[in-house]
Amino acid sequence: MTVDKVIEIPVSLEVPIGPQHPALHEPVMLKVYAEGEEVVKVEVNTGYNHRGIERLTEKNSFYRNIFIVSRVCGICNIVHSDVYVRAVEQVMDIEPSRRAKYLRVLAMELERIHSHMIINAIMAEILGYDTLFMYIMRDREKVMKAKEILTGNRVLGDYLMVGGVRRDLNEVDRERLKNILVKLEPEVWKYIKVFEEDETLWKRLRGVGVIKPRDVTLHGLVGPTARGSGVNIDARREGYDAYGEVPFNIIVRSDMDSWGRMMVRWHETIESISMCKYILENLPSNGPAVPDETRLPRKFPVGEAFARVEAPRGELTYYVMSDGRQNPYRVKIRTPSFNNIINSGFSYIGHTIADVPVILTSYDPCISCMERAIITDLRRGERMYLRFKDLSTRLK
Amino acid sequence: MEALSELLKEYALTTYSVKPNRLVIEIPKERVKNALKVIKEKHGDTGIYVSTIVGTDFPDKKQVRLDYYLVTHPDDKVYVLRTWLSREDPRVDSILDLFPGALSGECETHDLLGVVFEGNPFIKREFFAPTDVASKGVFPLRKDSGV
Repeated sequence: MTVDKVIEIPVSLEVPIGPQHPALHEPVMLKVYAEGEEVVKVEVNTGYNHRGIERLTEKNSFYRNIFIVSRVCGICNIVHSDVYVRAVEQVMDIEPSRRAKYLRVLAMELERIHSHMIINAIMAEILGYDTLFMYIMRDREKVMKAKEILTGNRVLGDYLMVGGVRRDLNEVDRERLKNILVKLEPEVWKYIKVFEEDETLWKRLRGVGVIKPRDVTLHGLVGPTARGSGVNIDARREGYDAYGEVPFNIIVRSDMDSWGRMMVRWHETIESISMCKYILENLPSNGPAVPDETRLPRKFPVGEAFARVEAPRGELTYYVMSDGRQNPYRVKIRTPSFNNIINSGFSYIGHTIADVPVILTSYDPCISCMERAIITDLRRGERMYLRFKDLSTRLK
Repeated sequence: MEALSELLKEYALTTYSVKPNRLVIEIPKERVKNALKVIKEKHGDTGIYVSTIVGTDFPDKKQVRLDYYLVTHPDDKVYVLRTWLSREDPRVDSILDLFPGALSGECETHDLLGVVFEGNPFIKREFFAPTDVASKGVFPLRKDSGV
């Protein structure tokens, strides 16, 4: 008997997760290929939130762009405006006062605290621990209040301007900020204890999404994702703004898994609280924090600058080029999620489908940051052809 | 800083700096990959990473400029490898096999600026650009794209 028919058996099942999905808090699509429960390949599909901001900045003036780049990301808007403003200041050779530099660091560290708190809250929610999510979000609200006291706005700070900041800090508000931070710190320690001791969190996070130090640098991963794998990458070491003067420790852990990354964020939160306290105690009084806007230059020299900042999610870079006109010739934004999400497809392989949202969340994705995949697989996507005879034999 | 410019002495056309004090080494496009290979051999797998790839369009020069921003670890120094490509047919060797982390930068630069990274199988249109822009065959970050 001749066999002339062949059944093609797909070796993997394709499970699209996103771009709108209850388990994802950002618009990205992970096309997951699974054999049974095991993930064998992940493609990261992007393009759901691309707004063309780099092009938009070329059509607006240097000063208006400060507000445009703030809107790249809702969570980390001050770091975006800080790194852009510093690049512009470098092109224009302007140096802000020491007080302004301290206030910039204060605003950025408050942002780091609430950003790290929100991603830990989201992680708790994704793991099914909604009560913890609500508790963390309640305490995060205190930080949003602190940000409002400092910048005037709860979310979008619009705090920076070329040559300094937009608002100075008075003595009354300084005390209010100190009080908030003093109340916040014991709450954060409480959450650290929960993350360290809760068995369910431990089981869902430990050993999930392991990234080795070599993979971190090869794939260009940055921020807590890198530091959770023992790679000590931190742009703050450059000492921009007042980071050269404010004492702080860089948190590095060698756990390499999702739990390690979340713990890096918690301990950085504590570190940021100490930095904010230090700044509030030691705020220099020399020089105005708010420059006279009418005296800012209206002509821009030809030049280019490349500035880096350690955003809550990792190294954020801006390249600004001026050809002497009112608008920049080129602004290139490279956000941390751009590297961390697109280049990390390899880390899902071998885990179960239920782990995919957990691993993604442990990278703290920010798609509105990123877009402004294809990635693939490590195992061979072989096709297997079985003859009817073989198939029936196997089915027995 | 001097160590790297010394290392790339035979590749460099010229060196200068981008503010604030980032060493730029200009090299011909055919030698980009070799230069990066030399750097990687010197720093090892964990000693350097590709931070950013910046493409800029210069229609008046009829060229596209490509910058690779590299950051060394753990001393956190930034170096720039700069090369110029023809605007008509911007092609350069992909560095994906040396630095898998260049994937995002190469895919984006291809989609928005039209640079072809030879040897990168993942580059495609509509990576970021919306369908209506990509289907017209224009690259949004080109100065004459009309976007």
